[in-house]
Amino acid sequence: VSPAAEVYYRPDAEAIARSQLTDFTRFAEARLGRPLADPLALHRFSVEDFRRFWALFLEWSGLRVEGEAEPVCRGDEVETAAFFPGLRVGYAENLLRARDAAEDARVALVACAEDGSAVRLTRAELRERVARTAAGLRALGLQPGDRVVAIGRNTAESVVACLAATGLGAVWSSTTPDLGTEAMLNRFRQLEPVLLFAHTEYPYQGLRRSVADRVGEVAAALPSLRHFVQLAEGEAPAGLALPIRPLAEIDGPPLDDDAWPRLPFNHPLFILFSSGTTGVPKCIVHGVGGTLLEHVKEHRLHSDFGPADRLYFHTSTGWMMWNWQLTALASGTAIVLYDGSVSHPHDDALWRLVADEGVTVFGTSPAYLQYCRDAGIVPRERVDLGRLRAMQSTGSILFDNHYDWVRENVKPLPLQSISGGTDIIGCFVLGHPNLPVYRGESQSLSLGYDVRALAPADAAAGGAGELVCARPFPSRPLGLFGDPDGRRFHDAYFSQNAGVWTHGDYVEISERGTARILGRSDGVLNVRGIRIGPAEIYHVLQDFPEIAEAMAVEQQAPQEPGGTRLVLLVVLRGGAALDRPLTLRIKKELSRRASSAHVPAVIAQVPELPTTFSNKRSEKAARDVLNGRAATNVGALKNPDCLEVIRTHPALQVEAPPSS
Amino acid sequence: MSVAVRQSVIDWLDDNYHFGDAATLIKSDDMSFLDHGVLDSLGFVQLILHLEKSFRIRIDRKDLSRANFDSLGKIVGYVTAHREYQA
Repeated sequence: VSPAAEVYYRPDAEAIARSQLTDFTRFAEARLGRPLADPLALHRFSVEDFRRFWALFLEWSGLRVEGEAEPVCRGDEVETAAFFPGLRVGYAENLLRARDAAEDARVALVACAEDGSAVRLTRAELRERVARTAAGLRALGLQPGDRVVAIGRNTAESVVACLAATGLGAVWSSTTPDLGTEAMLNRFRQLEPVLLFAHTEYPYQGLRRSVADRVGEVAAALPSLRHFVQLAEGEAPAGLALPIRPLAEIDGPPLDDDAWPRLPFNHPLFILFSSGTTGVPKCIVHGVGGTLLEHVKEHRLHSDFGPADRLYFHTSTGWMMWNWQLTALASGTAIVLYDGSVSHPHDDALWRLVADEGVTVFGTSPAYLQYCRDAGIVPRERVDLGRLRAMQSTGSILFDNHYDWVRENVKPLPLQSISGGTDIIGCFVLGHPNLPVYRGESQSLSLGYDVRALAPADAAAGGAGELVCARPFPSRPLGLFGDPDGRRFHDAYFSQNAGVWTHGDYVEISERGTARILGRSDGVLNVRGIRIGPAEIYHVLQDFPEIAEAMAVEQQAPQEPGGTRLVLLVVLRGGAALDRPLTLRIKKELSRRASSAHVPAVIAQVPELPTTFSNKRSEKAARDVLNGRAATNVGALKNPDCLEVIRTHPALQVEAPPSS
Repeated sequence: MSVAVRQSVIDWLDDNYHFGDAATLIKSDDMSFLDHGVLDSLGFVQLILHLEKSFRIRIDRKDLSRANFDSLGKIVGYVTAHREYQA
């Protein structure tokens, strides 16, 4: 990180004085009896004495828990340590409670649709709806530990269903209606869910698209299902063996406050999916306490979310940011949801939403900022952004030019690049209310997280390397579902570097504690801000008799939304040629069976794929040459000459970015 | 000229959204793309970038409206006219 990086935004003294981070620092100093002179000192304390840090944070946060707060963390191994084994905690309880009557009367949830309609619920109303639904689910026999899955839009019903189910101790897992049937089943089937919540339609550019058939196929292929709950009106799936229960009829006398079970801190809460280079998607199990504690820390200390805030983070139920923004309710913050196209009925639909709903923190992505730039949208000329105080961005790398675009076209404000992911349901790098924003950099490492850039042994000194977390952290997953001996979990995160969590990103950390994420270090692709596991692409391509081998690789492409494009290299059988009909057939099948995000921007025929002497395909070698770097493992390849064919293939050349 | 623009739009739609079905989907030159799910407005921005590159024209973002772009006929007409003008 260049020490000369430009200061993009500097918080004023008043903002620093009233930030929650300052309040927490004063609290910690008093308890410790020593000063924490600056944010770096606070971070150092938070990792070197992480047990003390988390105990202090829990106390300061006022979260409702019961039981023994000692030990703070049992064990010292990142892979097996367990936080707060003596505590019990309720996720929904902490999200829905009000500190006073005024908070109960304030709007806590605004769910907007692209047709302009909105559902507004005060905290008391939301709590009542969740409590009634939970009573109905309990009457259906839902038990702690049961898996429930949802094909859900970003609406109030999805929130109510999630909080009611998790409030009873069930484990929630959701996906969006536009994911292909096969991809849904590859995820849900592993969980043996007892209940499916589903929307059967979704809005699209003013039309309604039915997914009733898809929902029916999914339900029919899940033999463990005992109940089907339809989240909203719409076409019903035909031929279901189970009765169709509308959400509105899942109802009962609202559970009393003391009827909600408090669960062990390390009881499962959410299961998120991550697809890698081989096998079926991983089912990552996140715990009640770890998720809640980490989110509240990120929200209150790093993002300064409070009761005066309205958060709109653009997400879907299929992305961990949905779970993340939901937890903002626990900080007294109101959340705004949006169900629809980002560009319908107006090309600036999201900016209108930000203005009309008085959003104070807008969470977005580089791909969306790039869309605004390409479409010539200048938000500050179109809407009143007076209440907007900060923006956050995640999904892919936020480049310097995105910072410039925001300053010129939105307003001067803290633009916080946050990054982490599904695997930890939180962030390793994020914002900081007391520090300047440097253009192109995340402001801070996550408090309590011993994030390091592990440089390769042969590298010259410098701050860049593999992102690892070297000490136990509370949002480490409990494990993978269906992996009883933990072998797959170990292989995924702990096999590359002994004793530390290896995340799969490259990061550069500066001496002032700021960070730049440089991209993925593993075979996982990030295309237009969406993580794509090549395994799901290969799975579909197996059914093409013409294709002998295939390799999906991410290529930097500054012109594309998100700055990258998906490239598919194929080796065809028996002298076949990749013609246009075959190209389109491959794309169509990937779109239909996986999702539109799995469709490559380019498909290129090559005579062979880079292969090591141990007969493994080297995606890394292909990625290196496609991104203008020398392949670092040429010596391990038995066919290094194929790299030159890939490097010079006419279809794989990327345009230089515009000079302006 | 207009034949080349037309084919370029159809090829682009096939490559990015319809994978071989674009010509069948577009029933007439004046069928609205937005109303019939041929393209969404995010996709329009990508199409505009493609047309700028392919035909070496600069499309003023103030012209991005249904009146100019929301059918195959309108797109062909706009690009052809502007290409001639800018050339």
